[in-house]
Amino acid sequence: MRIFQKTSFNFIKHRKIAYAISSILLIAGMVSLVFRGLNYGIDFKGGSEVVIRFEKTVDVGAVRSIMRDAGVSGSVKQYGLDRSFLLKTDFQGDTSKLKTLISNSLASRLPGNPSQILSIQAVGPSIASDMKMSAIKALAAALIGILLYVSVRFEFKFATAGVAAIFHDVLTVLGLFSLLGGLFDFMPLEVDQSIIAAFLTIAGYSITDTVVVYDRIRERLRGQKPSDYERLFNESMNQTLSRTIITSGTTMLSVIVLFIFAGPAIRSFAFAMFAGILVGTYSSIFVAAPIVFDWQTRSKSPIKFRGA
Amino acid sequence: MKNNRFKLILIAVVALVSVWSIWPTYRDYALTQKLKSFRSAEDSLKFAIDNREAIEQAKDKSLKLGLDLRGGMHLVMEVDILDLIEQKAWNKDATFTRVIESVKKEAADQSNANVVELVAAGFKKENIKLSRYFYDMRDSDQDIVNKLNGEAKDALVRAKEIIRNRIDQYGVAEPVIQTQGSQRLVIELSGVTDEARVRRLLMGTAKLEFKLVKDSETLLRAIQRISSAPLVASASTAPAAPSDSSMATAPVAAMPAPQAAGSGVKRLSDVIGMMPNGLVFAPEYARDQVTAVLSRPDVVALLPQDTQLLLAAKPEQTAKGEKYFPIYLVQKTPELTGGVITEAKATFSAQENQPEVAMSMNDEGTSKWARITGANIGKQIAIVLDNAVYSAPVVQSRIPSGNSVINGIGSLDEAKDLEIILKAGALPAPVRILEERTVGPSLGADYIRAGLFSLIWGFTAVAIFMIVYYNKAGIAADLALVLNILVVISVLAGFSAALTLPGIAGIVLTMGMAVDANVLIYERVREELSEGKSLRMAIDAGYNRAFSSILDSHVTTLAAAFLLYIYGVGPIQGFAVTLMIGTGASLFTAIVVTRVLFDLLMDSRFMNEKSFG
Repeated sequence: MRIFQKTSFNFIKHRKIAYAISSILLIAGMVSLVFRGLNYGIDFKGGSEVVIRFEKTVDVGAVRSIMRDAGVSGSVKQYGLDRSFLLKTDFQGDTSKLKTLISNSLASRLPGNPSQILSIQAVGPSIASDMKMSAIKALAAALIGILLYVSVRFEFKFATAGVAAIFHDVLTVLGLFSLLGGLFDFMPLEVDQSIIAAFLTIAGYSITDTVVVYDRIRERLRGQKPSDYERLFNESMNQTLSRTIITSGTTMLSVIVLFIFAGPAIRSFAFAMFAGILVGTYSSIFVAAPIVFDWQTRSKSPIKFRGA
Repeated sequence: MKNNRFKLILIAVVALVSVWSIWPTYRDYALTQKLKSFRSAEDSLKFAIDNREAIEQAKDKSLKLGLDLRGGMHLVMEVDILDLIEQKAWNKDATFTRVIESVKKEAADQSNANVVELVAAGFKKENIKLSRYFYDMRDSDQDIVNKLNGEAKDALVRAKEIIRNRIDQYGVAEPVIQTQGSQRLVIELSGVTDEARVRRLLMGTAKLEFKLVKDSETLLRAIQRISSAPLVASASTAPAAPSDSSMATAPVAAMPAPQAAGSGVKRLSDVIGMMPNGLVFAPEYARDQVTAVLSRPDVVALLPQDTQLLLAAKPEQTAKGEKYFPIYLVQKTPELTGGVITEAKATFSAQENQPEVAMSMNDEGTSKWARITGANIGKQIAIVLDNAVYSAPVVQSRIPSGNSVINGIGSLDEAKDLEIILKAGALPAPVRILEERTVGPSLGADYIRAGLFSLIWGFTAVAIFMIVYYNKAGIAADLALVLNILVVISVLAGFSAALTLPGIAGIVLTMGMAVDANVLIYERVREELSEGKSLRMAIDAGYNRAFSSILDSHVTTLAAAFLLYIYGVGPIQGFAVTLMIGTGASLFTAIVVTRVLFDLLMDSRFMNEKSFG
């Protein structure tokens, strides 16, 4: 079976449209980051989260008012599982008190509908700020590491454009999280440790497609006249289009499976990966390679290819 | 062909080692199913005894599940080093208290900062030598910092040992207790059913003291001196605080006092009550408030030299069912402390059938105890645990045996916990919980189901896609994928790394990424074939030319996963581990395994130019 057979899209000609789309996405994301900020999970903000499951269906408003009457400040939301709710409140050093308070008030107000506390997570503010620092360090180290690796493997212009594409991907997804955070009940889109895991994986994976396109471009450019570059860029991208999309596609299959089956704890992660792979595939075709092309046509020095 | 033989052997070895490593996991599962299948408990017990060795061996070597899948508690606790430093200081004065208070605030802002350094800096700012409060006058500041750092390090290790002892005695399978940084402990307990009890065991400092109780006249005089002390308004949680300031003859705690509600500023006298026989008490609702007021410096200053007011641990009950806590005035310097306790046992008291803990002391404690009891016949000695009075019996006679009893304990469970804590020893300093993650077993079971579904559907989706898109070559990629998953699980089992839900997500993600290598190779092979090359040449070229791209993508993914492992915490590390193993393994399975399969099949009629779809 073949999905993309002998395509001949003129990617380079339409690159300005892609630049515009990317810029709009990035700017919208950045504006939202500045004004809306990110929705941090308890990992990075501190606080307590309690998941409660009822035996019968119950209205979220009812649970909310019971919690308010019990003096538990915080929010109650539907959780991704059946008949389950997520209660968020301030950090409690002694969760057993909180637990007793919740189960007692629920038992007395909803006697016909037994409930069960499925999980409690409490993260103190000092741990939260530690985890935030670790996450920032990990992201920075990953980006620097990949930058080093790519600059060893590729010529300077290719490497820089590749890393720009990674930043593009991670920032776009971050912007999406800021824009969409808290809008959906079935996935909170809060930035927590698992989202950092997604960002790191996106950063590592985003370069994969780019490398495939780059390898082909280098192979074709070698010993050719700069005047042919536009044709050669386009041909290279068309030739690798199929594999670029299929490799992303198989990974996308896994991510969709995770989104559907792996439960609410993994859903935001799967969403981040989904968006990241989508944007990553797009950016290797429409961002990384066109930047190299533009840079090359504007600069006087020809690309010095390494090796034979 | 010779080269292939080596590769074949390698693949066979990898496959065999994987199966060998996963085998105990299967055995464990099979044996557990078998145990469940018996109808009567005797049969199942008999089977368990007959096969004990096999069961234990399988369990020991089987794939471990993480806390999120199995259910359990993950805790990060902090040992209060500042408290330890305060304990070590002598001739403490107002300046000392002030510096310590400011360091306390500073330490709360800076996570994981070295408290000893903060204290040293705090005193340096005030131009006070540390030797004024610590150790020997002749010590330099640096000596003292070194010594205190040593003490802090020692305290952390001791706290870890003591907590391990307590958990071992309580009985939790495979507890993980590790130190982290200069003052933190990370504790992982699986399958805990009673979290409240575990928390009590972990947090209980169990500072046991025997203190002399002052007579009731001194107590009443002290209470009168402090009775006008205001209760901190913000600390009041009870609505329209009922009080009992009317010197009632019966302890009617819940009688609302109009003047208290009206005047706004509530005083200690509004909540505590006195009886003519000299009993002073705090009603249950005001317990926390009163405890806080009694330890406030301005209140403590009003008390007679070297005394303190302590509440009872357990409330007494009136005929009407109201609960109140007696207040005792005791000598601050203890007569004897818990360090002398060698043995503790939870039992029921002979007379009232109430839970209690019987203790015996070492030689030094025994002779001291004999002297103390001998000198105080007819007086009360309070048995104080963590600043709460458990009982204050009147000494009837000299006790030469070194035995003592803590009664006034709520339940047998509590008595048993106390026994464990007393035997394991007191923590060198109080501990605080900084982070807690508890997953109940039912949610864990949900997660396992979700994880299995994801694995099955992830594999099915990817495997079917590869066959549909690449035909027979897709089958080879799928075989490689199966081996890849086997390798990941066997490495996890072999190295006793726990499988978490994010770990499963990592495996599912790896499945999608592992076939990428095959996609790159096959696309190249198709290209070469379309240029008219023979199948053998096309395959050769496909593998050779795709290799560098494959290596690049694997190296970057591995690097990202590695950093995640270094900086991540808990379950996220599980994701990083499976991603690393999966990516590493796919270099082998996608490149070597599929290649050998093609080489083997090339000569047969099974493979031809159309096999790549």
